[in-house]
Amino acid sequence: MASKSLAWHKPWTPWLFLLPTLVGLFVFRLYPIITACVLSFTDWDLLGDPHFIGLENYFEAFHDPDTWLVIGNTFKFSFFYVIGGMLFGLILACLINVKIRGINFFRAAIYMPVVTSSVAVGIVWLWLLGPNYGLLAIICRHLGIRNMPNWLGDRHIVLYTVAFVQVWKMSGYYMILFLAGLQNISHELLEAATIDGATRPQRFFHVTLPLLAPTTFFVLTVAIIDSFKNFELILAMTKGGPMNASNTLVYDVYLNGFLYYRVGFAEAIAFILLVIVAFFTIANFFIKKKWAHPWD
Amino acid sequence: MKKRMALVLAALMAAGMVFAQGSKESGASTPAKSTGPVTLEWWTWDPTMKDQNVQVIAQYEKDHPNVKINNTIIDTKEYWTKIRIQAQQRKLPDVFTMSSGYLEEWAQNGLMYNLDSLIERDKTDEVFYKSMMDSTKSIAKADHVYALPFALVTTVLYYNKDAFDAAGLAYPNEDWDWNDFRDAAKKLTIDKNGDGVIDQWGFWVYGRYAQIESWVYANGGNLLNAAKDQFAPDQAALDALNFLYSLVATDKSAPPQKEMSAFRNEDIFTQGKAAMWVDGSWYVDNMRKKLGNDGFKWGITRVPFGPSGKAARVTYGWPDSYCMAPNTQHVEEAWDFMKYVAGEGIDISQYMAGKIPSNIALSKQIVDPNLQPGTDMELLSTEAGEPLKTSYTKGWNEWRGYRSNEAMGLNGYIDSAMNGERTMDEAVKAATGDINAVLKRYYK
Repeated sequence: MASKSLAWHKPWTPWLFLLPTLVGLFVFRLYPIITACVLSFTDWDLLGDPHFIGLENYFEAFHDPDTWLVIGNTFKFSFFYVIGGMLFGLILACLINVKIRGINFFRAAIYMPVVTSSVAVGIVWLWLLGPNYGLLAIICRHLGIRNMPNWLGDRHIVLYTVAFVQVWKMSGYYMILFLAGLQNISHELLEAATIDGATRPQRFFHVTLPLLAPTTFFVLTVAIIDSFKNFELILAMTKGGPMNASNTLVYDVYLNGFLYYRVGFAEAIAFILLVIVAFFTIANFFIKKKWAHPWD
Repeated sequence: MKKRMALVLAALMAAGMVFAQGSKESGASTPAKSTGPVTLEWWTWDPTMKDQNVQVIAQYEKDHPNVKINNTIIDTKEYWTKIRIQAQQRKLPDVFTMSSGYLEEWAQNGLMYNLDSLIERDKTDEVFYKSMMDSTKSIAKADHVYALPFALVTTVLYYNKDAFDAAGLAYPNEDWDWNDFRDAAKKLTIDKNGDGVIDQWGFWVYGRYAQIESWVYANGGNLLNAAKDQFAPDQAALDALNFLYSLVATDKSAPPQKEMSAFRNEDIFTQGKAAMWVDGSWYVDNMRKKLGNDGFKWGITRVPFGPSGKAARVTYGWPDSYCMAPNTQHVEEAWDFMKYVAGEGIDISQYMAGKIPSNIALSKQIVDPNLQPGTDMELLSTEAGEPLKTSYTKGWNEWRGYRSNEAMGLNGYIDSAMNGERTMDEAVKAATGDINAVLKRYYK
């Protein structure tokens, strides 16, 4: 009976069901990626036809000191953002991992910047951080502090200022991920540690943190990928300036692709970024395989 | 298997290239009026003009029952990407707005219809300012007119009359020289409450094109060489740049750019943080909307001539224009609509305040004594008839620093001087190498 009802089944039947997904994957993902790769070997201003120039875009990128500055900025931003985002996310998750009246209000309040427009966040922080006339400067002046750094005008700190705002905006997201991890940790283990005489810090570092390892590595992967998507805040706050000091690869792709119309060069930069992201993601998975073993 | 994969990959790449290249159509059509109904595609870049465009279309379609106009309005930031894709596909709209910044590149790529014969036939240069048409030729480095200007934008000195009155100073005028300006800027720089923070600066300037080139040309200078393919500021240009630098570094009557990062450029003057400001005439519209007649009183005048500039009386200004697709099938209808929408069929209320209509008759109506800055607006129509100069080249966005990269390019270098990181001479020296590397790429 069973064999009769499956008579329509042919070896290619699963492929039929997979076809819509495969077509979608090809048309909307693979095809644009391959085309972008091809275009990275061309000189194309969008007006005429693309001209094949081999590896010239890549040579130009690697010989241009500005590209190296931008790559360096991308790594600095990423490092600061990943560490900051994870640290704040974890601290906030620990703080709100309690069952008290009204805790959901705080969870929602901390999460709110995540769903707020990056451009709006950028403009508000511009007002807050503005020298002399910004809110922070006015408060500090009333407190007698006059020599405030120029958060967005000093090329040595501007990148970290933008990264800090990005951390402030996104910490709520990592908090939710960490919170899910924390709530999966069995209370029995923590109670057992308490009975054994473990102090609160000991419980955190020797029980909670190791058990959070899978979540931590997941958050790390997500944070690394997010750290390279820093376009909107840079556009709203610094436009990559002063003089490339806060320019990153993703913003440079935008500038070359949509302002200078150097499409081939922009694609080359995009592929350099792709290689960097891929490297970190793969490295992260290998590290996770080796280190992230919860007690199971 | 590997061979098959390689073949598939090669086919994909070929398909990608075909997709990227698009289809090509034939060149310009012979001008001939269509007999049947005609639909014209009209692309513009300013969504705030939607209501005005609807009015224009309704009137035009009423007067021309056989012509239907489809207006596509795209935000300026996306307009150029979208219209470039249309150009690449050879599917440009029949009529579209064109910025002077792209004229040279588009003319060289043959993407605009040559209007010479139509202008000559209809004597269009008697109805519209010839100086503006000549300006499009000069910017495009072409022997032909490819763009029919609908408006000229120029730069002016905005000044806060209330601040001048409070300081007991006479208003600036055309006869002001740099010393007059410098003295006024110093006297207008005031810490009102004595807290050590300047509440009103005499002047506001940073590396932006509309704020810098105005002074360079008003001093008879040039940022580029004669062929306009190399950055080579002459002595008059360097003098103008150093004059601006001294206002910030020596006189401290203008703030360093980084001190004003909490403000949008156009808000500094309107919020009373600076008593004088040089920028585009198009900000008249913004100021009227923000200040109306109830805010502080303000005026406009010519950017002060430098010691080397008074004789030449060059204005930093450039036209915004309409162009026709080179392969439009409706040349006569498109040309008729272009002239109509560029000025022949519209009234002054359909213009953004501060833009000078290219239509001579219309340009005479820009003065409205009931609106600020009153009769000062006569300056704009005077400037419309004077020699115009710009620094537009191919790749201008990239080397000048504009919009999303305004913290880079020449803009960034000038700001680095204004911010005290180096002198203006050092900034110009450093900028020259970088800018010429960019220009070399565009003018191989």
